[in-house]
Amino acid sequence: MAALPRRIIKETQRLMQEPVPGISAVPSETNARYFHVIVTGPEDSPFEGGLFKLELFLPEDYPMSAPKVRFITKIYHPNIDRLGRICLDILKDKWSPALQIRTVLLSIQALLSAPNPDDPLANDVAELWKVNESEAIRNAKEWTRRYAMDN
Amino acid sequence: MSAVVDERVSDEIEALEAILMDDVVIKRVGDVPDIIETVVHPSTGDDTDQQFVCVTLEVKLTPEYPDTSPDVVLRNPRGLDDALLATIHSQIRNKLNDCLGQPVVFELIELIRENLTERNLPSGQCVICLFGFTAGDVFIKTQCYHHFHSHCLATHLISGLRNYQEEYEILPNWQQMNVSPYQQSCPVCRTIVTCDVESLRKAPPPQESITAAPFCVTDELKVTIADLQHKMSALLAQQRAKGGVVSTGYTGPPPLTITTPADNQNNVVATNGPPAAKPEPAAPRQNGNASNSNSSPGSPNGKSGYRGPYRGFNRRGKPGRRGRGNAR
Ligand SMILES: [Zn+2]
Ligand SMILES: [Zn+2]
Repeated sequence: MAALPRRIIKETQRLMQEPVPGISAVPSETNARYFHVIVTGPEDSPFEGGLFKLELFLPEDYPMSAPKVRFITKIYHPNIDRLGRICLDILKDKWSPALQIRTVLLSIQALLSAPNPDDPLANDVAELWKVNESEAIRNAKEWTRRYAMDN
Repeated sequence: MSAVVDERVSDEIEALEAILMDDVVIKRVGDVPDIIETVVHPSTGDDTDQQFVCVTLEVKLTPEYPDTSPDVVLRNPRGLDDALLATIHSQIRNKLNDCLGQPVVFELIELIRENLTERNLPSGQCVICLFGFTAGDVFIKTQCYHHFHSHCLATHLISGLRNYQEEYEILPNWQQMNVSPYQQSCPVCRTIVTCDVESLRKAPPPQESITAAPFCVTDELKVTIADLQHKMSALLAQQRAKGGVVSTGYTGPPPLTITTPADNQNNVVATNGPPAAKPEPAAPRQNGNASNSNSSPGSPNGKSGYRGPYRGFNRRGKPGRRGRGNAR
């Protein structure tokens, strides 16, 4: 495998030494481009108290292409589908090499605080979020409690 | 207070206005000059594109000036670090002492300019490679005042064009007609820029990327990493045990098996659970736009990035664009 680009090394180093509050990311033992991630559900969101596991992969031409990220822990969110795929513009057409692993994970955390049912990936979830927001939030809390909490 | 201005001061002001013209501001109290303000740049001839640093010099005259020293303040430093500012400040103090009794503003401007010229490098990092700018590096300031190593910006522009072309080619003909042409954009602020990629790509890679010490994992860091890895796998095992993991096929890196509609069905939780149990169409929803393009963390062997069919053509804000969130 080709040597790891210095930018990836620098980012990894900084993630380890100055971790972002509420987010941990660590490279896998076998592949320095593959990160295990835990994002804490933001306060005052239906995901509060949850620990969400994600995976993040840096493609060959990173940072010219966006990291590939998905949720491993089940989550009830209009912009995340049942396979954990995330609808977030900076992971697609709005990617820029000025963004980093940490900014991507912060944006994902922000998406948990601000679901956007008008731009859905999980259509049934988005539908409910639009017609009956309080029920949708109840579901999100229930999923968080059931799948993402220590109990 | 008398409005009589010392001749040494009025001569100095006259000279400053004659030479610096619009670049100097004289604030007066009544007829008496009070504050002299000017922005100092490095000397780069007429080439303002090559000026990466500047600072505003503010000189407040005392009633006894030049027989007593004026109060000198440096404001709005751009691209200067604290160490250099401290050096300039101490040189200014010496100069003020040496020049007591004679006008000093031109001397101050010259002193600052020499320092700026010597350190005319952008501060901070190139956001593309995360290395700084050092003497010998070839770099560029965009129209939007952002700095990059020429080498790094070339890489960004070349891959931007390549991605554009790849996406263009997979479009049906009738859609190709409606696509706007490729535009270069600044990685930081997305302003449209125009750069000569051919000349940029001739620049060498940034010095620090070659000379920087290799990453060395300290024992302390090793423990942190091992701890985190342990915590992650424990969490995963725990969540999997209670059915809280998205894909039944998930085994960690190598990360993804191909997800089939069958997998998708398997993920539907027990019937009286939250609404995931609602009836689902047999196949995952993939409506041909970019929404899913990010779903697949790819091969662990570092093969090239995802180039599959979901890389929808939405980069330029064509209809059907999705996505949200904040870039910064
Ligand atoms: Zn660079
Ligand atoms: Zn810019």
